[in-house]
Amino acid sequence: MGQSFRMQERSVLHFNVADFAVAVEQVADVSLRGRPLLIALQAGRAVVYDMSEEAYRDGVRKGMALREATRICRGAAVLAPRLGLYQKAMAAFFKELQGYSPLIECGRADGHFFVDVTGTHRLHGLAPDIGWRVRRETRASLGINPIWTLGTSKLIAKVASRLVKPVGEYIVMPGEEEDFLAPLPVTVLPGLTGRELEKMRDFRLTTVGALAGLSRHQLMVPFGSRSDYLHDLSRGIDDSQVSRPGAAGDSIDFEEIFADDTNDRRQVERVLGVMAGQAGTRLRDRKQVARRVGVWLRYSDGAQVVRQASCRSGTAGDFLLRKLALDALQRAWRRRTRIRSCRLVCDRLQRQSPQLLLFPEPGRDPGHTKVLTALDTVRHRFGQGVIGIGMRAGL
Amino acid sequence: MARESSEVPGRVEIPCPSAPDRAGQPGRVCPVYVGTCGYSYTEWVDSGFYPEGTKSKAMLGLYGRSFSVVELNYTWYQMARAEPLARMLEGAPAHLRFAAKLTRTMTHERDNNWREQLALYRQGIAPLRERLVAVLIQLPPDFDRSLANRSYLAALLDGLHDLPVAVEFRHHSWAADPVFAELERRRVTLVAVDAPALPGFAGLFPALDVVTNPALFYGRFHGRNREGWRSGNMQKKFNYNYSGDELRAWCEGHLLAMARQAGMGVLLFNNHVRAQAAQNGLRLVEILGEFSQGGG
Repeated sequence: MGQSFRMQERSVLHFNVADFAVAVEQVADVSLRGRPLLIALQAGRAVVYDMSEEAYRDGVRKGMALREATRICRGAAVLAPRLGLYQKAMAAFFKELQGYSPLIECGRADGHFFVDVTGTHRLHGLAPDIGWRVRRETRASLGINPIWTLGTSKLIAKVASRLVKPVGEYIVMPGEEEDFLAPLPVTVLPGLTGRELEKMRDFRLTTVGALAGLSRHQLMVPFGSRSDYLHDLSRGIDDSQVSRPGAAGDSIDFEEIFADDTNDRRQVERVLGVMAGQAGTRLRDRKQVARRVGVWLRYSDGAQVVRQASCRSGTAGDFLLRKLALDALQRAWRRRTRIRSCRLVCDRLQRQSPQLLLFPEPGRDPGHTKVLTALDTVRHRFGQGVIGIGMRAGL
Repeated sequence: MARESSEVPGRVEIPCPSAPDRAGQPGRVCPVYVGTCGYSYTEWVDSGFYPEGTKSKAMLGLYGRSFSVVELNYTWYQMARAEPLARMLEGAPAHLRFAAKLTRTMTHERDNNWREQLALYRQGIAPLRERLVAVLIQLPPDFDRSLANRSYLAALLDGLHDLPVAVEFRHHSWAADPVFAELERRRVTLVAVDAPALPGFAGLFPALDVVTNPALFYGRFHGRNREGWRSGNMQKKFNYNYSGDELRAWCEGHLLAMARQAGMGVLLFNNHVRAQAAQNGLRLVEILGEFSQGGG
């Protein structure tokens, strides 16, 4: 008989660069350090994308109207967001981490990284030492100073990082999870909705320990289907994996921030078409297909609407990706408020099947394959933006 | 007359025959506590020191079956926090004593707010109380004996004056009689280090057995891995297995001299790779047992 399977205690590091966009801008221009800084488009009804610690202390918050932010934080420098630069910084940080583990999960341009270093001790030493070294190396090479925290899960590492912002480190020893969480306010728990927090206030469930004192059945009454999630969350139980790049949990996404807020649907459709082409090229390069396409619309007032469209067998073709994106846009197009930014997210990725289809599928023209191959060749040689699919071509 | 304190694992009483034997009193003994730098290593399960499947939380209890002292090294990486430390002590064997490394923000990555950091540290280690053997100040290799560094160290020691303190220098410039005299005046322990003899690196602090605190001597065994020492990789740097002969030679050369001058001693192994620290610690206890029986 084989040996019984034994779960090893996990070591998950969380790196978080507080106010990431600001941190990157301050690296690009050191004269911005120590000064209040706002990252926001200077359009009519712009909102704050990110702000420095100095501005935060003055009361500025993300999503606040720029006009109000500049009123309460007079003298703050205002810079337009440079997503390309932030993504470049993310890629550089990612490269630093790759030397320690293949299991790295990161956000888009938010300065958050989870690294699972379980079982790497023989190569790289203790997990706290990895955290410390990464911080030292990124300070030296990139000029940014991340928070690092260590826990047995993403949940614990994430909560710990919320306790030490804007700088510092926190190690939660294995077995300490429940004791660590118990005295903390429920607001530090990730993934809670505003409505859930409101209910917790109504029930005087102010600390995580108080929430953990309730059984699944008791939680069922106010929180319904979320009771299991809240039960585990309050006890520090989190089995979610750190998704490595290219794994099932991975996604491909692009974002366009409009120079001026817009409610011109054709403009948004054009942007989505371009992003679908970029996503198609990347998927084909990675030999993957996406089974779901999401459109995220962020409005001038800070609100956000997300809608998706999916196809069962997945696609890497520009034509079908664009069709899915426009379907999702159709579902998302509910408000008359002007749109600040538009984001395309292709997820539920899987490897391309080498098997040919027996019957043609709607939206898949065999001739498209040749067109896409030609598009990829041109894009790889001359750049992503040199060629696209015309909006007037029928889908 | 030799005595072995068999009831406390990892603690051996070393007779000091040359100590003054006033008015016919029995000869003095120096209790020596043996342990390792850190105890929570997954690798030690793989290496067999801890039983298969041992969880981190159970390690300290198992560690206490072999040793009498442990150096807390995680306090170097992050500021000590009282609540988790108090919870750790609840599960620790009663005989176990602790040394705590001073946080790197006061040694290797010093900032202007070090006084606030020190206040936090003192609060953080408060639960250790009488179980605290020493606060270990490990100074970086580039911390030389400049005027600024001397002033800083003096201020730091002032801030820790009511706690037992041990200082480990890495820069050779501190190996000077006025330094020893000042440490002696402050009753601060100078750490005796066993590290690779590297002729090409004259800047390292030498291996000395100078006792500056009559209450405590403190020895740290880093291993003698010459190739790994400057590699920047802990797994290489601390990958060394002391032989019985090396440990016996160290005891003969340094231990008895220090035991005669101090009320107690701690000896800690830092060569944690593949649980060699734990294995060497156990071997040292055996060797000290021979010394305590008068066999050294």
